Amino acid sequence: MARQLRLMETFVELADSLIEDFDVIDLLQRLSTRCVELLDVSAAGILLIDPHGELHAIAASDENTRMLELFSLQHDQGPCVDAYRSGNARVNIDLTDPGTTEPWARFAVAARESGYHVTHALPLRVRDRIVGALNLFTTKEAYLNEEDIALAQAMADVATIAVLRQRTLDDFQLENSQLQTALNTRIVIEQARGILAERWYTGVDQAFTGLRDYARTHQLRISDLSHAVIDGRLDTMLIPRPASVPAAPTVEAPEAAPVLDRDGWSSPKEEQ
Amino acid sequence: MITDPLAAVLTRLHLGRPQDLAAVCAQALGVDGVALSLAVAGRGPEAVWSFSEASTVVEDLQFTLGQGPGPDSARTGATVTVRDLLAVDSGRWPELRAAIAEMNLPVRALYCFPLSLGAINVGVLTLARTLPGSLLPWQFGDAQALAAALTAWYLGGVGAELRPEPDSTPPLELNRAEVHQATGMLSVQLNVPLEQALLRLRAHAYAHTRPLRDVAADVVARRLRLSPDPDPLSAPDHREE
Repeated sequence: MARQLRLMETFVELADSLIEDFDVIDLLQRLSTRCVELLDVSAAGILLIDPHGELHAIAASDENTRMLELFSLQHDQGPCVDAYRSGNARVNIDLTDPGTTEPWARFAVAARESGYHVTHALPLRVRDRIVGALNLFTTKEAYLNEEDIALAQAMADVATIAVLRQRTLDDFQLENSQLQTALNTRIVIEQARGILAERWYTGVDQAFTGLRDYARTHQLRISDLSHAVIDGRLDTMLIPRPASVPAAPTVEAPEAAPVLDRDGWSSPKEEQ
Repeated sequence: MITDPLAAVLTRLHLGRPQDLAAVCAQALGVDGVALSLAVAGRGPEAVWSFSEASTVVEDLQFTLGQGPGPDSARTGATVTVRDLLAVDSGRWPELRAAIAEMNLPVRALYCFPLSLGAINVGVLTLARTLPGSLLPWQFGDAQALAAALTAWYLGGVGAELRPEPDSTPPLELNRAEVHQATGMLSVQLNVPLEQALLRLRAHAYAHTRPLRDVAADVVARRLRLSPDPDPLSAPDHREE
């Protein structure tokens, strides 16, 4: 029952967001986080297709570097590419089963090294077109049942609507432009993330958290905030630096976090 | 995703002659005119190449007057399509439309695709047609792919340090999150705009024959800092192991 209530809240929240002039990246990130809660998975991410037919992560429940690497490994192969090409969901993939993972072994190895046991990929569909995929990961040996899969597909559909942000989905040019805009927005955020990380002398994960939190607190679009950081219109000293970033569910220790700290803030020493 | 004629165009681009592409592009894209304008060294966009006289004139008019779908696209980084120049609001680009009408130029529709990589705007690719209407889905897809390829080409610096395989695949390494993060970090380290930071990153990768994404990962992990002075003899880039 608690889940039904949360589910209802989620869709109300998403419906509210879609009415306003909303921040697509923030919405997709919230959606990813909701997927983790509602489907009892460990991580979720949304990938979109570029004009060359390659997939790129646009938002994820965990914005850490390792997670993004798992998505970027799927630019041309992996469960998301399968879901994209076939238009069918690929669910309950056992990452420890060599027979299943053979076509994309590199991805499977990286996913296992990140501590994941099971993955799922659901297509982002518009009529007969596929514009991306929703990717889910679980650290436990736990599988989605039929109801979970239906819910995951519903979340994927909401993501699609959010990206294409229109009610009448009949203009191919508009769809393509919106896909491109969403992908480019993601790049703007990465650039601003680098700027902030260098100014703070922190990791890029912490920089992302700082950007996202500041955008939410001040009700700014994360893309507008990123542009302001890049243009120098916003004094980055005004952005509070988060104390720490949630660590990735890793098996091995991640690469060493930067330790030098010029500003006298607490260092993001997560491991080692 | 892209058609064979465009794949042939991209191959040609990768082989190193982007200057004489205009007519080939127009033919591959099935339109009457194509123009490319680039922002160079801090100046606003200027026409670099174009095909069909009318397209050339319209392109020059747009960037001289500073109005039109091309300048709008270059400024905002958004795709701007004008299906019928005679049907746009009267307040929109009045001087441009007046000039086109006065000179009786055979251009009725313009489709402008930005050459952008995040907040970096390099220029704009403009397709023109003598008749009003929408582009077909394949034309639109091809134009987007061409704009992306041209962006990568020009951000790679023309020629030397960019030697992609002669095929139609995009320079994938530009699509990596760590490349954009490293670009942002370097722009602070070197106190330069993002575009120059990216060029420095690529130049370093090329000079050390390393994949761009590996160099970017080193910058992000702070194993590598680039020095503000790009002179390789007096100030070598410092690599920490």
